Amino acid sequence: MIGGTTMRHALVCILLFSALFWNFPALAKVDLVTLPQRDAVRLTIYNSSDLTLVRDTRALTLRKGLNRLQFSWANTLIDPTSLDMRPKRQADQVEILEISFPAQGKNLGIWNVESRVAGNLPVEITYLTSGLSWRAFYVATLGRDEKSMDLKGYIRVINNSGEGYEDSEIRLIVGKINLLDEIATLARRKFPYGTPMTFKADREPGREPARPARLAKMKLEKAVSVLSERPKEIKKEALSEYFLYSIEGRETIPDRWAKRLLSFEATGVPVTNLYKYDPARFGDKVTRFLSFKNDAEHRLGKTPIPGGTLKAYKKLGEEGYLTYEGGSKFKYIPVGEDIELNLGSTSDLIVEPRLLSHESSDYTFDKQGDISGWREIQKIEIEVKNTRPVPCQIEITRNFSSGSWQIEKSGDFDSFEKLDLKRVRFKLDMKPGEKRTFSYVLTAFHGLQADKRLMKSSG
Amino acid sequence: MKKDLIEKALLVTAFFSIVFAQPVLARVKLVALPERGAAVIRMENPRATLIEEERVLTLQKGINKVDFSWKGVSIDEDSIRLKVLSHPYKATLLAVSYPPDEDALVWDIHSDGALEVAVRISYLLSDIDRLVKYRAMADQNETGINLKGFLVIRNFSGEEFEKALVFLDQERAFAKNIRQNETKQLLLFEKKEVPVQKVWTFDAGIHPWDPESENAAQGIPVVYRISNDKLSNLGGFDLLAGKIRIFQKDGHGSGIFLGEDSIGRVPVGERMDIYIGDSRDIVVTQRKMKERRINIRRNSKNRTVLYDTDEMIKAKIENFKKQPATLTMIQHIPGQWDMLNCSFEYNLRDANTVEFRIDLPPGAKKELIMHYNRRNVR
Repeated sequence: MIGGTTMRHALVCILLFSALFWNFPALAKVDLVTLPQRDAVRLTIYNSSDLTLVRDTRALTLRKGLNRLQFSWANTLIDPTSLDMRPKRQADQVEILEISFPAQGKNLGIWNVESRVAGNLPVEITYLTSGLSWRAFYVATLGRDEKSMDLKGYIRVINNSGEGYEDSEIRLIVGKINLLDEIATLARRKFPYGTPMTFKADREPGREPARPARLAKMKLEKAVSVLSERPKEIKKEALSEYFLYSIEGRETIPDRWAKRLLSFEATGVPVTNLYKYDPARFGDKVTRFLSFKNDAEHRLGKTPIPGGTLKAYKKLGEEGYLTYEGGSKFKYIPVGEDIELNLGSTSDLIVEPRLLSHESSDYTFDKQGDISGWREIQKIEIEVKNTRPVPCQIEITRNFSSGSWQIEKSGDFDSFEKLDLKRVRFKLDMKPGEKRTFSYVLTAFHGLQADKRLMKSSG
Repeated sequence: MKKDLIEKALLVTAFFSIVFAQPVLARVKLVALPERGAAVIRMENPRATLIEEERVLTLQKGINKVDFSWKGVSIDEDSIRLKVLSHPYKATLLAVSYPPDEDALVWDIHSDGALEVAVRISYLLSDIDRLVKYRAMADQNETGINLKGFLVIRNFSGEEFEKALVFLDQERAFAKNIRQNETKQLLLFEKKEVPVQKVWTFDAGIHPWDPESENAAQGIPVVYRISNDKLSNLGGFDLLAGKIRIFQKDGHGSGIFLGEDSIGRVPVGERMDIYIGDSRDIVVTQRKMKERRINIRRNSKNRTVLYDTDEMIKAKIENFKKQPATLTMIQHIPGQWDMLNCSFEYNLRDANTVEFRIDLPPGAKKELIMHYNRRNVR
């Protein structure tokens, strides 16, 4: 038992041997001298992969000369190839010679440490483990006018690692790192680095991850951190290409428990009700978006927003009743970037394109009498209806089959943009209950006609 | 040392004097078991491990039969060699024969007299090898790393070695006890303050042009570039192929894991690029705004036989980071071409690959316009 608790059924421990036992075979591991307690644990949990960096500080009592330290991790999901140890002070007096993984002990490593001093020495042991994860999720509450929302970001930390973590500092990494091997796969290997005939090792039935049949016996009060008068803060900072979230204070997360923490809260975030009609991307129905920006103007913008799911509600009446508006998954949003939350298709905003006429003309022929070029003229009318009691903005994207075209627009729209060679976009700001119609004539050039025509400069 | 442990997987060198060398159905072995002397394990070649061990044989005058067997050990039979070290002119290896259905061979050694001779037996042994791995700690501003290299010896060969000399290359050797089924990891080197250059690369031939329409957040790959030379506090030896894990100091007395990659062998003077992960705070959105045929030439049947194109690419580059970055942008233009107008300077990687180096201050938004004609397209 470490720390005298009963929670740690999956034991990660260090045994310390004095140099006296140096020559004994590894089987005789009963002669342990000290069993140092884990002093502090810092967990850095990643969300792009099943990966957690554990930093474990322990006080060792070293003798002068050669010390053997045994580290074991049965029933956990630790990647033994990641084990590393460094003294936290007097680093020049202590030399970590090697680590060996003996045949006689499974999930066991022995460090040989040469010390020029005797006495207490704090060391930091780091390793990667799998089984801990976190994810972000969000709750938005729209005002009745749908012009602003209150946004709450949450983080859920889940521990399925086989080991309970008591009083741990918890940090989360937002970002996508490159991993060659899954940590869980490395953790389940029979031998830490596999064997030279890897194909054989792969056939070995892998050890099942720690999953004791019994329920986690942790009492509720243990899982709940010492409650303070305000929710814990999460400090955020940029490191390399990633963001580091540090949860204030310490947390206890027993094995198989999860914990929810408030990551940020913003009230009165201005939002735009944005609707999109783009059959190539979303099919024939109008898709609803909530649009805002991750910047100070929108009372956000301090840090990127990690990808996650968002559930949007709307306030109803004075009593604070809510209605569920829709849910959306979104991608990582850098600071300063626009956000468009897809709330799904809707039928209360209607876009109806109609083909009014279709003709082809100006055929040219080659010397064999075959067609060498022609133009196609389509007249299209688009009717837009906002049946909602709130204003909204709509983007209508049109895809063309030819890269050579000209367009004549007429009627009631607010702006027009050429997106690229084959796509244009109309934008309309719709008042509540409003109906508007616009049309365009598209002349598409084919064959020689496309070659001859000088395209208009891009929009 | 525990004999039973060793005997399970043992290379038995037994020898017969001529007296016992009568042809019998069941061969009687193990007359004497000479101690294994120094063993050398050579791991220069990652594909095969060479063992060289020395033993002392007590030979009678005449022909001696020395039996060498390797039950439970994967030795490449054809690789077994015997070299007489002492009295090479008095003891001569005459023949090698392989008994049926056994992992064994018999050496016929002729001796001029009763002698003790030292021999070196060498062979290629399977299921024992080495890996090299690296662990680097980057400083907070990502300009330098502390690089450690480790050697991992994996022994599943069936043999055990007592104080064997392990050679990683011609120069570096370690004396180690290596047990059966044991894996050992030792520090090869540690180099401090190795400079690194951080490189972001967008390749229009690989990465999606329209990240907005992708389901998952797209990233710009980030690599750490390190040169294996004296200027980088390295350059003393080739860096062997292996896996590298990079960590970074976090300014709170601790670190985070940045990512990992595998590197090939890096000879002295060469550089390596370690892909650590993706930046999602640099976003490139690229679009083709124009593409049409010009200068069309036709044959007598009025069929197009040759033409040029007029093309325009627009790429929006945004740096949402609070730090500056230099983006390497790769564009591909096939065939023969002329650039009419380009909003940034570029270098040619080759005739069809254009490389831009675009400095992006914090929060920068830049636009690349590339207007070009492709010539003589058929």
